Amino acid sequence: MAKVFRSPARHGYAVEVSPFIPNRVACAASQYYGIAGCGTLLVLDETETGVALVRSWEWSDGLFDVAWSEANEHVLVAGGGDGSLQLWDTNNHSAPLRVAKEHTQEVYAVDWSQTRGENLIVSGSWDQTAKVWDPALSRSLTTLRGHEGVIYSTIWSPHIPGCFASASGDGTLRVWDVKSAVCRLAIPAHKAEILSCDWCKYDQNIVVTGSVDCTVCVWDLRNIRQPVNQMLGHAYAIRRVKFSPFSKTVLASCSYDFTVRFWDLSRNQPLLDTVEHHSEFVCGLDFNLHIPNQVVDCSWDETVKIYTPACLSAATHKREKSWSKSSAWS
Amino acid sequence: MHRLKLISGHLCPGGSAELNRDLQRAECGSAAAASGRDSPDDVVVVHGRRTAIGRAKRGALKDTTPDELLSAVMTAVLTDVGLSPDRLGDVCVGNVLQPGAGALMARVAHFLSGFPESVPVYTVNRQCSSGLQALLNLADGHSVCCRVESMSLQSIGNPGDLTSRLSDVEKARDCLIPMGITSENVAERFGVSREKQDAFALSSQQKAARAQSLGRFDQEIVPVTTRFVDADGKQLQVTVGRDEGVRPGTTLEGLAKLRPAFTPDGSTTAGNSSQVSDGAAALLVGRRSVVEALGLPVLGVLRASAVVGVPPDVMGIGPAIAIPAALEKAGLTVADIDVFEINEAFASQAVYCVEKLGIPMEKVNPNGGAIALGHPLGCTGARQVVTLLNELRRRGRRAFGVVSMCIGTGMGAAAVFEYPGP
Repeated sequence: MAKVFRSPARHGYAVEVSPFIPNRVACAASQYYGIAGCGTLLVLDETETGVALVRSWEWSDGLFDVAWSEANEHVLVAGGGDGSLQLWDTNNHSAPLRVAKEHTQEVYAVDWSQTRGENLIVSGSWDQTAKVWDPALSRSLTTLRGHEGVIYSTIWSPHIPGCFASASGDGTLRVWDVKSAVCRLAIPAHKAEILSCDWCKYDQNIVVTGSVDCTVCVWDLRNIRQPVNQMLGHAYAIRRVKFSPFSKTVLASCSYDFTVRFWDLSRNQPLLDTVEHHSEFVCGLDFNLHIPNQVVDCSWDETVKIYTPACLSAATHKREKSWSKSSAWS
Repeated sequence: MHRLKLISGHLCPGGSAELNRDLQRAECGSAAAASGRDSPDDVVVVHGRRTAIGRAKRGALKDTTPDELLSAVMTAVLTDVGLSPDRLGDVCVGNVLQPGAGALMARVAHFLSGFPESVPVYTVNRQCSSGLQALLNLADGHSVCCRVESMSLQSIGNPGDLTSRLSDVEKARDCLIPMGITSENVAERFGVSREKQDAFALSSQQKAARAQSLGRFDQEIVPVTTRFVDADGKQLQVTVGRDEGVRPGTTLEGLAKLRPAFTPDGSTTAGNSSQVSDGAAALLVGRRSVVEALGLPVLGVLRASAVVGVPPDVMGIGPAIAIPAALEKAGLTVADIDVFEINEAFASQAVYCVEKLGIPMEKVNPNGGAIALGHPLGCTGARQVVTLLNELRRRGRRAFGVVSMCIGTGMGAAAVFEYPGP
């Protein structure tokens, strides 16, 4: 049974589970479906009986993505429709720690790097650039240009330091090297816009993309001419894709078709299950890193849901060693 | 809005042919057009007819007074649909050259057609867009809007009573620039070469010749029987049922030989300009609720229109501004439109507008334009609507079309029509 948090008049765009606190979730939400109006950043705790609001902040434009700090359990960063990134602290109730406004259009993606030895933020914007920032958001360290369309997603590789992937409206998946500030790979992954990408937590060469063409494609970066897997099933554009932290072959996708789907690449028929508990576009999705098989999602129907899909618990494949923060990555 | 457009784009992708998208695609199509839903207040076109377009001063209609032309088309339209003229709410006539835009002439034509005195009439003059303007001026109930022009009998000569002070105000002065010079201005300022203009003109002639030979205009033309005075002064009776301006034998070499018509080293010639012509057209229009109550069919729906102002010295760029304005009002883009009827006042401005808006050439004037058919000033707008809707109907599926023209003294007008499907 899902635990539900309702945010009236705020439509969820992104959720992320805290890397430190197992029952804590952040959600970036916007007024008027993000088309106009302001935004709200919500910090929620799952309780025995439901979901409680810990903290919330208002922002003058819509908020489209959120990422928790990997160094400090109180800190998070959000990306806004006004092109700004804001650093928030759950100890500070009213105002952001810092606001950085460099992007000239909507910031649609923020991610905090997880590899040891570096503490960086990456942002992706509709202004077609990605920027890398120090954790204090003082100013951007690098700006990466190359995409010929809006950027929808920027995700750090969990394996390779200084490396992130980006998904864009130009139909390409790009892999970037921050130190040399170049694009190492540009894969024309889809003929339509790519709205999301994510890295496999167990294989540093595997990346998944979700596109407006309604397919989820898995790519091996060593051989980019065709995808390793192409999963059909969603009826509308895919808004977000996420690899499971507990399994090499399990991933989830959420879509404008109101559903969340779970896939297992090791099976002949990869679709495990379709969860239809939303009544609007599902935009945000994350796996809980601490609690195996728990998933959080958020939707334009003004709800955030925390649940454990049966298809994941029932999966019979051998579980990989659970990924935790203590293992060395680099 | 940018964000809304981006997200809507996620729902209507261009590429994916696999998966069962048929149902969704139709859904997306009507979501993209803000005007997808029919309302009883829609302005709809029921029917339209036009006379053949004759060459001014030398053609078969040169001795025909405009009231005769007007009367012919007004009668034809009502007879075709079987509507008695006393059901009309108003009549609006577009005209440019007659004194007072032909207000008296229009009332005369009215009675020549046997319309009852209870039906009023008025005229409108927005230069070349008068025809379209008459349609846009639609009042409630039923109206016939028509346009007529006899460029044989009246020339663009007398500008009226103007102050001498106008020479001190640049844009006021620019209103007097001859149209041919504005064409040269556009060609020069926007780099439209003589070759491009001639190629466009050739294309117009070829399309018109083909349309004529395929009989595409047969349905819309009302043959007019009229008097004609030949070179010896003898009076004859002739029946005019074919557009006279079309020259099927046009070649690029032939066009290239023509001398510039307006400036010694210009690029605008008689071959790549619209012709001076006589003609009339009439459209029966009304609010959907009234049309349906009378049991009349809907040929086309006016979805949006826009009239914009541009500098008088490059008046030809009008459609490049008016078309996006009208499309935006309709919630559509160039890609949604199947046919554009863009008046070819001059190849220079027509080419500029088509290229500026990125319109694929195959969508532009598929049955030829004013360069081949002629441009009877006040008549053109209605002629374009008639030809547009007939072409969309011939293609046999729901589609959108745009009618647009530039306007002397610096304006542009555009209207978006929907053919609802067979």
